[in-house]
Amino acid sequence: MDSLFGNFDLSAFASALLLGISIGSIWLIAALGLTIIYGTAGVINMAHGEFLMLGAYSSYMLQAYFGVPFFLCIPASFVIVGLVGLIMERGLIRYLYNRPLDTLLATWGVSLVLMQGVRLIFGSDPKYIAVPQMFQESVEIGFFSISLFRIVVLLITALLVAMIWYLFYRTRFGMQVRAVTQNKEMAAAFGINSGRVYMMTFALGAGLAGVAGSLFGVLNIVLPTMGTSYVVQAFLVVVVGGGSLVGSVAAGAGTGELQSIFAYFTSDTFARFLLFVLIVILLRYKPQGLFAITKARR
Amino acid sequence: MGILEIHNLSKDYSGTVVLNDFSLDVVELTLCCLLGPNGAGKTTTMDMITGRQKPSSGRILLNDNDITGLDEHEIARRGIGRKFQVPAVFKDLTVRQNLEVAYSRQTSPFKNMFRFRDPGMERKLDEVATQVGLTQRLAIEAGTLSHGETQWLEIGMVLMQDPQILLMDEPAAGMTEQEIDKTSRMFNELKKTKTLVVVEHDMAFVREIADVVTVMHMGAHLATGSIDQIEANARVREVYLGSEEH
Amino acid sequence: MFKSNPYHNKTAQWVVYVLFFGALAFVPVLSDDAFMMNQFATYGVFGMLALSISLCWGFGGILNLGQGIAFGLGAYGMAMTMQMQSQDPETSPMPPFMLNNSVEQLPLMWEPFWHTGWGIFIALAVPTLFCVIFGTIMFRARVSGPFFAIMSLAMLSAWYTIILDSQPFTNGVNGISPPAPLSIGGFEIDPYSGFIYWMVLFLLAAMTLIIKLITTSKFGLIVQAVRADSERVRFLGYSVSYYETVIYAVSGFIAAIAGCCWVVAVQYVSPAQLDVSFSISMVIWAGIGGRMSLLGSIIGAFMIQGGQSYLGDEFLATWLLILGGFFIFVVRFLPKGLAGLLESGLGLLVAKPAAERESAPGPVAGAKVQG
Repeated sequence: MDSLFGNFDLSAFASALLLGISIGSIWLIAALGLTIIYGTAGVINMAHGEFLMLGAYSSYMLQAYFGVPFFLCIPASFVIVGLVGLIMERGLIRYLYNRPLDTLLATWGVSLVLMQGVRLIFGSDPKYIAVPQMFQESVEIGFFSISLFRIVVLLITALLVAMIWYLFYRTRFGMQVRAVTQNKEMAAAFGINSGRVYMMTFALGAGLAGVAGSLFGVLNIVLPTMGTSYVVQAFLVVVVGGGSLVGSVAAGAGTGELQSIFAYFTSDTFARFLLFVLIVILLRYKPQGLFAITKARR
Repeated sequence: MGILEIHNLSKDYSGTVVLNDFSLDVVELTLCCLLGPNGAGKTTTMDMITGRQKPSSGRILLNDNDITGLDEHEIARRGIGRKFQVPAVFKDLTVRQNLEVAYSRQTSPFKNMFRFRDPGMERKLDEVATQVGLTQRLAIEAGTLSHGETQWLEIGMVLMQDPQILLMDEPAAGMTEQEIDKTSRMFNELKKTKTLVVVEHDMAFVREIADVVTVMHMGAHLATGSIDQIEANARVREVYLGSEEH
Repeated sequence: MFKSNPYHNKTAQWVVYVLFFGALAFVPVLSDDAFMMNQFATYGVFGMLALSISLCWGFGGILNLGQGIAFGLGAYGMAMTMQMQSQDPETSPMPPFMLNNSVEQLPLMWEPFWHTGWGIFIALAVPTLFCVIFGTIMFRARVSGPFFAIMSLAMLSAWYTIILDSQPFTNGVNGISPPAPLSIGGFEIDPYSGFIYWMVLFLLAAMTLIIKLITTSKFGLIVQAVRADSERVRFLGYSVSYYETVIYAVSGFIAAIAGCCWVVAVQYVSPAQLDVSFSISMVIWAGIGGRMSLLGSIIGAFMIQGGQSYLGDEFLATWLLILGGFFIFVVRFLPKGLAGLLESGLGLLVAKPAAERESAPGPVAGAKVQG
């Protein structure tokens, strides 16, 4: 083997492939809420990064001030950030649905307010979320070592994807959502309240960001600016995937894997640059993304 | 041979056939009417000719040059102008500005960047405004025009382009009797210098203007002939009696 | 009383533009505080950026959240030029930071910057060329609206990381601080003088007037049509992607000039100039000032950056909080920004039935900002 690939290290490359799955799951979970909100309402939510950040801070707060165990903090963050999303949708976004660029800008304003608000309340110094000791350890899979918590993230991502799939494709609410996405007027004619559907999906999307945020708070430190480091990647997953759930899963896995492979051959940041260039080229041929949602033709 | 030839055009969207082996020859300086019930493929055909959609198979020739699959602006530059079914004018611009934009002899952004006056355009604009009867309305915003006036404005925009072939998708829709009369007189005048393809439902209007009529049904060619031949055609009657149109 | 809204009067607009820049030109006569001149020059640079955003987003309808790319690349090009002016091929052929990063010889990428003319040319050409290539790919594929905004943002963060990561070539997070001011043909541009202020102001005024002129041309009319209904414009024979690329590239060119002026004024560049938040600030200036108005956008930049620097660092978080809130308000209720407010205000002065005439305020009180 060695002679064939020169100094190509097969075991290190295999670890890179496995690491790619983990990176993909992190990007995917960051993008889930964004996907739902964009896929349903067509809103590019620039405050998504700050929703992630709020999720981390709610978990931190519940744990540090009220001693709530970490695995209860996750659903609590879902509820708290979901409520924030609900308020934002009712108070601002619903007035802007037919102005896509303005929603983008208004949500960016919201992100600024949230980030600075948190900074004023909690300060700019990093916070930490504690997890049970066992999750801080690493497991060995053959020659590959990965922290147990990354596996937890992977499992939670898979669980959330399965739940969203069930919600969207197997329940009455999901049918309404898909009806509104495809043709709002037609759905209204059948008595579906699109305003309510948008409100619920927005809250759901925000809540999912809350879950992702509390996990990121463990993977990394908790900072008012932490959202921005995830949000661009999350956007790219949505853009590449085309806004559908299956698209985001494919895009998350694909870009995560590519990032890891490129990083194996070059460096982390250069891999990122290569990935961006590749996405730009992809958009040249598939401007709607890999799995675009079909809308009613004009 | 015709100035515009369509050979065996087909189009399907993942299995749904909307256009099936459709061929059409348009002879220079004639007015050809496309008829057919809704869903017959008339607008799809126009989309293919103007490059808005790409055919799954088949060829489109303009003056014996293959234009199949070219971009919209390239086809427009070769001399095909189009009026849309739902009038597409720039509502926020004035009538005059709409006509100015449509005067597209010079399409390069750099050459247009420092172009402020254009005597050739002024002349053409006066001529077209008179032709479509909008001389008094030049200064108002296009969004405030009546439906019939909007139709004329879009016809005027196509005329400003000065194309060889004019594709008109339901030009008389929403017009009053007098407006239709005026439009048919205009078309009869136009076909002395231009070739026209008109999609229309109003049979009285078609009778006024058409040199040759082609009927489409379910994405395929059904019949071609003069208006009298078409009205006597048994298959055409069958198709039309089977639908609510006419 | 006016027959029509004076805001839309072409002559009045030109008069206001000339008066605005004319008045600004007198500032150094009133004060010769060198530090202030330098600071005002940087505001001029922000004004250029706001102008470029107004052209691209307000006028062209292309929301560009990655203007920092053109600005940053221009700035790095100028910084490299100025750095090489302090190097000598014989005695010290390499910038000190490279020695610290144990680079053996001057990277090829730096060679052209020995020559000041080439250096400045590259500083302007590279960002413009980038815009042409990226714009062509995106607009040909008909990527537009929010999707283009996201892609420009992603591209910005890609450039940010690559510049940050290329420590041996760019000095990474520390950036490049040329030791001496720019000198052109023996003339040294003192960054703390009235001259730098006038230079920036002259460039800003010239670019603003040229852009203003272009927007009234046939080109401007076609771009307006593209903004309204790009689909329809194609059938008239215009290549929409070509027009969009030109707008985007011209806007990038202006940002590159701004980047050059920035380094001449502050003698410093770092990846912070390509930070996402800075590029979005540019959009906020134009949004609050009024993206449809060139002058409104420029004034927006002056107000917000001015406010920010006078409030100082301790209130920065509060200031950004208020700014974010105000921006939300503007997007929701004043899509045309403060200039739009003036537009509607002046609209009230248009001749109305006699009964209302008495109460209307005096004429042209605020014909300051225009479209």
